[in-house]
Amino acid sequence: MSKPAILIYDLGGCEGCPLSIMRVYPQLINIANVYTKCLGKVDLDREYDYAVVTGPICINSPEHVEELKKIRKNSRVLIAYGSCASVGGIILYARGGQEPRPEHRVYAPISRVVRVDYAIPGCPPAPQMLISLLNCIRRGKGYFLDLFRAVALNPKLSGFDLMDEVVLNGLCVGCGACVLSCPTNALQMIDNRPDLIPEKCIRCGTCTVRCPRFSQILIQRSRLLQKASSLSRISGV
Amino acid sequence: MAYQPVVIDPENPLGYYTGIYLAQTADERVKRKLGPDYKGGGAVTSILLYLVEHGVVDAVVVARRKKGLYGETIIAKTPEEILEATGPKWSIVPYTLGLREKLTSMDVGRVAFVGLPCQAQFLRQVKMFPLMESDFSKKIYLIISLFCMGTFAVESFLNYIKKSYHVSPDEIENISINGDELVVKHVRGEIRIPIRDALFHLQHGCLTCPDYTGLFADLSAGKALKPGFTLLITRTKLADKIVREASNTGYLKLSEPDEESLRIVIEKAREKIMRSYKYLSTVL
Repeated sequence: MSKPAILIYDLGGCEGCPLSIMRVYPQLINIANVYTKCLGKVDLDREYDYAVVTGPICINSPEHVEELKKIRKNSRVLIAYGSCASVGGIILYARGGQEPRPEHRVYAPISRVVRVDYAIPGCPPAPQMLISLLNCIRRGKGYFLDLFRAVALNPKLSGFDLMDEVVLNGLCVGCGACVLSCPTNALQMIDNRPDLIPEKCIRCGTCTVRCPRFSQILIQRSRLLQKASSLSRISGV
Repeated sequence: MAYQPVVIDPENPLGYYTGIYLAQTADERVKRKLGPDYKGGGAVTSILLYLVEHGVVDAVVVARRKKGLYGETIIAKTPEEILEATGPKWSIVPYTLGLREKLTSMDVGRVAFVGLPCQAQFLRQVKMFPLMESDFSKKIYLIISLFCMGTFAVESFLNYIKKSYHVSPDEIENISINGDELVVKHVRGEIRIPIRDALFHLQHGCLTCPDYTGLFADLSAGKALKPGFTLLITRTKLADKIVREASNTGYLKLSEPDEESLRIVIEKAREKIMRSYKYLSTVL
C-alpha cells in the first residue's frame, strides 16, 4: 500500500505546534509522505489524504482565508492541530491595538471558516499525539476519535466552559482529571472540586476533553447536531 | 496487538476483553488484613503486591481512606503501604496537582494506577493522546479500574445519615453492602439503610456516566456474586499476562467465572449505560 500524503501547514502564531510536530518528522516520514515548508515542499494545489493545520485563522487577512479554503478543498481529512487552530486558545484574547499592537483583530479557530474533521486541543499537543491520532483515524472508530470529531464542531472550549457546563452544573464527580491536565495550573482542587483562576486560563481546552463528563456531553451533542443537519437536508430546509 | 478502541454500546456492555476470571487472594497478608468478614476477594491488592515485589512496576498509585468517607491518593512503593490502602473507600478520591508533581519529580519509571472508571478514562487518554508535554504518559504502565455504580455526594449523604439516623460523620467506622442494604458501622453500633434511599445521595455526574466496569482500563475488577471472590476482566494482553503471572507465583487463585456472576455484571453494565442515556438527555 502506498503511503498517504500529509500536508502540514502553519497559519501563524507562536510556532509551538509546528515545533512539536517537527520532533516527530523522523517517525512521520515512515508512515506518510510529508509535505511541509520545513522540508521544502508545499503545494496547495495538489490533493492530500490528510492536512494538519496549526495556528489560528486571521479573518482580516483575505489571503490566509483563501489558503485555508484551498486546503479544505484539496484534502480528504482536515485536522485542526493545537489549541489556536481547534478551539481558539490564547490568541482569542488578541483584539487589535493592544501591546504589541497586532494589526488585525479577529483571530478564530479554523472551524469558523471551513469544515474540520478532527480538532485537537493542546498548547502545544505533545509530539507523539500526531502519530497516535493518525493511527487511530486509520482504524476509524472509538470513543476518543468521536471526541476529537465532536471538538471540531465547537469553536470555543476552555476552563470557563468546564466550570459552566460541568462544575457549576453539578455534574462534576471530582475525579481530578482537569486539574492534572491544565498546563498553567489554572485549575485547583478546592474541597474536592476544581476551581478556576480566570487570569491563568489560556483557553487551551485541554481540561474539557480530559473531563469524562464534558467529553461525553460533547460527543452526544455532536450526534444531535449531525442528526439535525441530516434531517434538515432531507426536508430541504 | 495494540489497544482496542473503546465503543460504548448497550448491546455489548462489557466492551472488548481478552479474558474473565474469578479470583481470590492466596496471600496470607491480604487475608489477614481483610479479616474473615470481608465479602470481596482481595485480588487487586494481591496483584499490586505481585507487581511491586517482583519489580514489574516501581510504584502504584492507590487511594487510602483518611477518615470516614474521605480519602487521599498515595504513591505506594512498598508492600506495607499497599496493604494499608486495602479495602473500599466509599467516595471518589480526586487526583490533585501534588500527584503530578510527585510523579514527575520522583525517580519512578513504571507506575500502575488503581482508580474508578472515570479516572481510567482520563489515564487512557493521557497514555494514548498526550495533549501536553508535562503529561506522565510514559510512566503509566497499567491501568486498573474498579467496578463503579456511582459515588456518593459525601456532604449530602453524611447529612442524611445525621438527620435520619442521628449518627454524626465522626462516629462512622465502616460502610459495607449486604444484599439490598448499606450497613453503616459506627461507634455505638450499626445502622442499616435501604440502598434505594441512599441512591438519592449519589453524585449527579455519576448518573450520567455510562461506564460500570471501566472500559478504558487494562484490567477491571469488582466484587463477584460469590462471597470472597473478585471478578477480573482483562482487556489487554499485558493485563492477561500479569494476572496469570500473579497466579503462577502464588499471589492469586484463578478459576472460571460462574454464569450467574457474569449475568449480573452484564446486567449492571447495561443498566448503567441506559441510566446515563436517560440522565444525559436532560443536561444536553
